[in-house]
Amino acid sequence: MGSRYLTRRILQAVLTIVGIVLLNFVLFRMMPGSPERISHNPHASVAARAALRERWGLDKPLFPDQFIDYVTATVQGDFGESFKFKGKEVTTVIAGRVWPTLILFGLGELIAIVVGLILGAYSGWKRGGPVDYGGNGISLILYSMPYFLLGMILLVIFATTLGWFPTAGMFTLGQTYSSFADQVLDFTRHLILPLAAVSLGLIGQYSILMRSSVIETRGEDYVTTAKAKGISESRVLRGHAVPNALLPTVSLIGINLGFIIAGAITVEVVFSWPGLGTLTQEALEARDYPMLQAIFLILAITVVLANLGADIVYGRLDPRVRT
Amino acid sequence: MRLASWRDFVRRLVHRPEGLVGLVIIGVFTLLAIAPWLFVGPLETVTNASGRRLEPPSVSHLLGTDNLGRDVLNLTVHGARISMLIGFLATLVTIVIGALLGIVSGFVGGRTDTVIMRITDFFLVLPTFVLALILAPIVLEIIGSGEVLGMRTTLIVIVVVIGITSWATTARIIRSQTLSVKERAFVDRARVIGAGPWHTMRVHILPNVTGLIVANAVLVFAGAILTETTLAFIGLGDPFAPSWGQILGASQDAGAPGLGAWWWYVSPGVCIVLVVLAFTLIGGALDDLLNPKARRRR
Repeated sequence: MGSRYLTRRILQAVLTIVGIVLLNFVLFRMMPGSPERISHNPHASVAARAALRERWGLDKPLFPDQFIDYVTATVQGDFGESFKFKGKEVTTVIAGRVWPTLILFGLGELIAIVVGLILGAYSGWKRGGPVDYGGNGISLILYSMPYFLLGMILLVIFATTLGWFPTAGMFTLGQTYSSFADQVLDFTRHLILPLAAVSLGLIGQYSILMRSSVIETRGEDYVTTAKAKGISESRVLRGHAVPNALLPTVSLIGINLGFIIAGAITVEVVFSWPGLGTLTQEALEARDYPMLQAIFLILAITVVLANLGADIVYGRLDPRVRT
Repeated sequence: MRLASWRDFVRRLVHRPEGLVGLVIIGVFTLLAIAPWLFVGPLETVTNASGRRLEPPSVSHLLGTDNLGRDVLNLTVHGARISMLIGFLATLVTIVIGALLGIVSGFVGGRTDTVIMRITDFFLVLPTFVLALILAPIVLEIIGSGEVLGMRTTLIVIVVVIGITSWATTARIIRSQTLSVKERAFVDRARVIGAGPWHTMRVHILPNVTGLIVANAVLVFAGAILTETTLAFIGLGDPFAPSWGQILGASQDAGAPGLGAWWWYVSPGVCIVLVVLAFTLIGGALDDLLNPKARRRR
């Protein structure tokens, strides 16, 4: 059965995560810098410096002592204090920024998958038709456009010029809401433009892949057989071609997550959406390394787990890969 | 491939509409990148800005001006130089690492292959953009700012960072092609008459994977331009050597979309889309030419 496939995949994912933790440890210790530099006191006495080194565990050897300390802290979710948000734990700051990102990108991914797959399946089935030409052209352009550029264009048209939507943030500043429904409405108005930028940016990739995938299955014998049996076009498409064409898109969704993150960061910056993306930019600007380190670790592990999930789903859908 | 077959290859590429359109676009931007001052004069800075701040497009400033009064057309054309140069160098680094590891991994096989492929898988699953994001400031701290060989270190860091985070796909593709080339008779013959592994890889394997390397390089170029744009946008660009992404980032920082100053970012944005689109089109055409069997798909 598929248990060997599953075990191997999980083992690989665990090894990758170990690699990421290792990389994170090495990278941030490659940087020049010392407690003297961080404590901003070049005149500190030798004894004071030694005390500092001891307090931060820097007098111990890099490996294994410092590494073990680092791993223990990481596993406990302790990433230290942020440089930028003085006195706040990195974990606390990040926890406050996760939800906006999850909402924006969860919804965006969902819309993009549904619309992209339908558009791609239809254009692939009716290859050479008007929907195919139009859809394929638009998909190619969207695919070539950085997400944030799309966001900036939407922003100048629909927020600045037409004034239909607010330009920034997640809620109107200083607003008091008479009811919960009011608050949801305000949130939705803020959400629409960034959501549009994210989903439009993703639709191109899904529809291009789905299109070529459907075109490939269209030539398969079982499709010809189904047609020969006299089943209607749309039922052949829905019942025979699409389910088989869906397979490659499952792995794309997993792989894509890594690329989406790049888009996520920039779209959030354009709309000042208070999620992990704007946090990344703020941390980058302030060279807030503890924060960057934690963000990298969290995003990387998320992507590995998403890939694992996609692999497992793929294995369920396609028995041929369960080896 | 020999020169004659290369010429034939290019001719067939030009005969495909998407190949021709792509090549023309890239040709125009390459021209702009080689000598931007011939078209728009020297790069405008704060001191020699030619207009007032945030002028909309007009006869004297065809694409308007930015918040320092610099002509956007001037910035965009000079941006072509930086963007294309970074794209080209990053592609070069990516392809050299990827092709080298791919050929060695596929040809040598055994434990070497396993080790290289494990590392490749690691980089494939890693969100490389985020890695590039944290790597860039770290590398910059290590080497410091300044100039090396007439190129600003900030730009070199971007090139290196894109290179070391995006070679994995190339290595995978080249390895699988190497595996099939390795099985052909002429490789065996070379080994029998005493050719060493490096000689075989250079003389017999490399020429047979060159087509694939070129096709892949085209796609890597598109990806490199996008990555550079995104990195520059979120603040890792160099304000003294503005690429398209850096112009976009500066306009965002100054709140151009909120001010309605669309002209500031639309022109560099259009350039990015055109270049990436052109490379994608060429990539598609090359794919068709190299895999005639898959041609029926389009």
